[in-house]
Amino acid sequence: MQIIERIKNTRMVRNFFIFLAIMGPGIITANVDNDAGGIATYSLAGAHFGYTLLWSLVPITLALIIIQEMCARMAVATGKGLADLIRENFGVKITFHLMWVLLVVNLLNVMAEFAGVAASLEIFHVNKIVSVPFAALFVWMIVVKGTYKSVEKIFLTACLFYVTYVFSGFIAKPEWTEVFRQTIKPEITFDFKYSVMLVGIIGTTIAPWMQFYLQSSIVDKGISVEEYKHVRMDVVGGSILAPVVAFFIVVACAATLFKAGVNIESAKDAAMALEPLAGKNAKWLFAFGLFNASIFAASVLPLSTAYCICEGMGWNTGVDKRFEEAPQFFGLYTALIVIGAGVVLIPNFPLLKIMYFSQVGNGILLPFILIFMLLLINNKELMGDFVNNRFLNIVTWLTVVLIIALTLLMVAFSLSNPGQLI
Amino acid sequence: MDLFIFFSEILGKKVIDQNDDLLGTLCDVGMNVGKDVYPKSSHLVIKKGFFGRRFAQIPWGKVCELNKKFKVLVAKEEVKYQKERPQYELTVCRDVLDQQVVDTDDQKVVRVNDVNFLKVDNYLYMAHVDVGMRGLARRLGWSEAIDAFLKTFFARSTYLTREDFIPWKNTQVLTLGRTKNVLRLNIAKEKLSQIPPAELAEIMEDLDIFEKYSLFKSLESSVQQRVFSDLATPEQEEIIDQMSDEAAGKLLESIPSDDAVDLLLNLPKEKTIVLMRLMGTKKSKKLRELLDFERDSAGGLMTTEYLYLPQNALVKDAMKKIQENVQSSANIYHIYIVDEKHHLLGFTSLRNFINEDSWTPILDTCYPKNVFVHTDDGMEEIALLLEKYKFSVIPVLDENDVLKGVITIDDVLEELISIAWGKYKEKL
Repeated sequence: MQIIERIKNTRMVRNFFIFLAIMGPGIITANVDNDAGGIATYSLAGAHFGYTLLWSLVPITLALIIIQEMCARMAVATGKGLADLIRENFGVKITFHLMWVLLVVNLLNVMAEFAGVAASLEIFHVNKIVSVPFAALFVWMIVVKGTYKSVEKIFLTACLFYVTYVFSGFIAKPEWTEVFRQTIKPEITFDFKYSVMLVGIIGTTIAPWMQFYLQSSIVDKGISVEEYKHVRMDVVGGSILAPVVAFFIVVACAATLFKAGVNIESAKDAAMALEPLAGKNAKWLFAFGLFNASIFAASVLPLSTAYCICEGMGWNTGVDKRFEEAPQFFGLYTALIVIGAGVVLIPNFPLLKIMYFSQVGNGILLPFILIFMLLLINNKELMGDFVNNRFLNIVTWLTVVLIIALTLLMVAFSLSNPGQLI
Repeated sequence: MDLFIFFSEILGKKVIDQNDDLLGTLCDVGMNVGKDVYPKSSHLVIKKGFFGRRFAQIPWGKVCELNKKFKVLVAKEEVKYQKERPQYELTVCRDVLDQQVVDTDDQKVVRVNDVNFLKVDNYLYMAHVDVGMRGLARRLGWSEAIDAFLKTFFARSTYLTREDFIPWKNTQVLTLGRTKNVLRLNIAKEKLSQIPPAELAEIMEDLDIFEKYSLFKSLESSVQQRVFSDLATPEQEEIIDQMSDEAAGKLLESIPSDDAVDLLLNLPKEKTIVLMRLMGTKKSKKLRELLDFERDSAGGLMTTEYLYLPQNALVKDAMKKIQENVQSSANIYHIYIVDEKHHLLGFTSLRNFINEDSWTPILDTCYPKNVFVHTDDGMEEIALLLEKYKFSVIPVLDENDVLKGVITIDDVLEELISIAWGKYKEKL
């Protein structure tokens, strides 16, 4: 018994347990980020461009770590969510316009999630008329009946299932030398489709809503300044894990679909096309991964959006309230689920385009969010000793400038040859 | 002239100097908190330029105009621009606007959308914070468009009439853990919606005497009378003290005579005499009569404002009498019937005749027994009679049975409570 006590009391073990207690927000946020839209984007990237876009995941990972860490730092230093801080420091007008754009983009994202649920379950021969309403009900139940703690446990478990994509990646038997060569020494071509895809990848990996979600969930957990280093580990770990999953998705699709010259339009196509090329197991794993990712993100997104908009606009929030007490909150939450799920059920609705554009929308909105974050995190009065150092500032500003440049590039291309999108 | 002004209405306004040269736009207001309940504006903060923005502060005392534009009595050269935003004890933009409001349990409630100032002598006092949708629309600059739209299509929308204000008195600025600048309510959040908007009398109680008087002066005379009656006697005295004797006389003339008597009894004798002289003869005669009675006798308690009719009047005359007096007199539910020499013949209440035929003689609707007190009767007797007959008023007669006035139950209650209070304090 004494030995156990001693082990318990060594610093490393104690730190590990503290980490386990604090772990959650960072890992969950990064993983939700590989949602239906994300998987679709990565699959398309792999299937259409082979390994040529793999390199982008390396700088994206770095950018993700830097940006997520800033959010975590703001949460710990101020004890407020990002929407709160924007409203308090930039006023109501800016907040309002930011919030409605975020609402539109997030609604597109929610549609994409439900579309992902429908698509993945169709592979398992479940009609979307059945699957989508059930998924919507499940999402609603989780939030209304659950507490943050139990919901977090469900989410952490869901994170484990992303490993299916790593398996898919191996089953696809890629040429690893080629994979590494392309990752380290890429062949970059800047035509229209390539740059749209690049913005899409950035948009889906570093999504605007996740900054709001991460910061709020750290604030909700009530993590203190002393526990900050554990939060940082959680955030960095998550930020590495998510692009690793993305990496294997791209690899799986590139090794099979791109090589065979199969033209796909969606994640579902990708799963179906995997069957003859990599076997039934690859198909099942891919489809299950898509379902997991979609339902996971569909549970988080509507709630996070409703919270963040109500926080910013100063409306009552909380799932434990009655409808009359927080009408805007419940209105938004319900509308996001109902519209998001309802649209998927409309026959011939251009879901693929919606999914794709939701990612591009994320990419366009992101620079603005990043600029606000940078302004906030350099505010000494707000952050105290937690302000950004010069190195982080340079890297983040570079990221912002790059993303803006890529977005402008895409707009320029689409103006010069319209109708070429997708 | 508007008494209340919203921060959103002045935010971003052009500020000009004494030569009408532009100094910048208003971007913040510094407030002085001190010991007063309502913070008072101390500086205006202006900004100019977009890149390389500069700020400057101007003491609020220099403001000479704040309606359509802000005019300040300084020369352009005197204004010192600096890089940093100046800060004060309470800075509206930094400490109040857009900040969270939490309830007593530190639960997040709402956000401050706008600030409602009371304007007295060109100074601004923070009276309410606006947490409602109208405030939000005003800040976004859409107020008029939304109003026009709703009035056309949804005229009954509650948005049009509903203001969600929290009196500044009920909040405190505090730092909660790491979170800065939170307004905390000292009342339960359920009660929020029940707070009546803009209670002037209540606000006045918390202002100092000069502010009180400046505010009072700026009111229209009809509002003045209403607010004055709502004030407690010490406040009334303070205001009378500040006013010119002519104005005070006029004011006393316009308020109910029992209120006026209460006030006059508390003033120094010389002042009372001066004021009485300045009042119209009819009113001062009435007041003099009342003042002569002992304070806690029926004569001292009564008011001389009541409705009366001759003995041959009909129900329709009574109705007409009430309709005519809806605005003016406090006591309109009872009508007293008198003969030519003003002897009391009986009295009736609205309840007795409201369902009667309009050609019924009013005397037929009177209470069967003629209940009254005499001017020198004591309080106990009045109270006993009121209780016995469950009346809320009782007529007062002199030794010749001439009707002199009426006593309402609240006047008696007021006296009884102060007696009861005195006894209670003795016990302690």
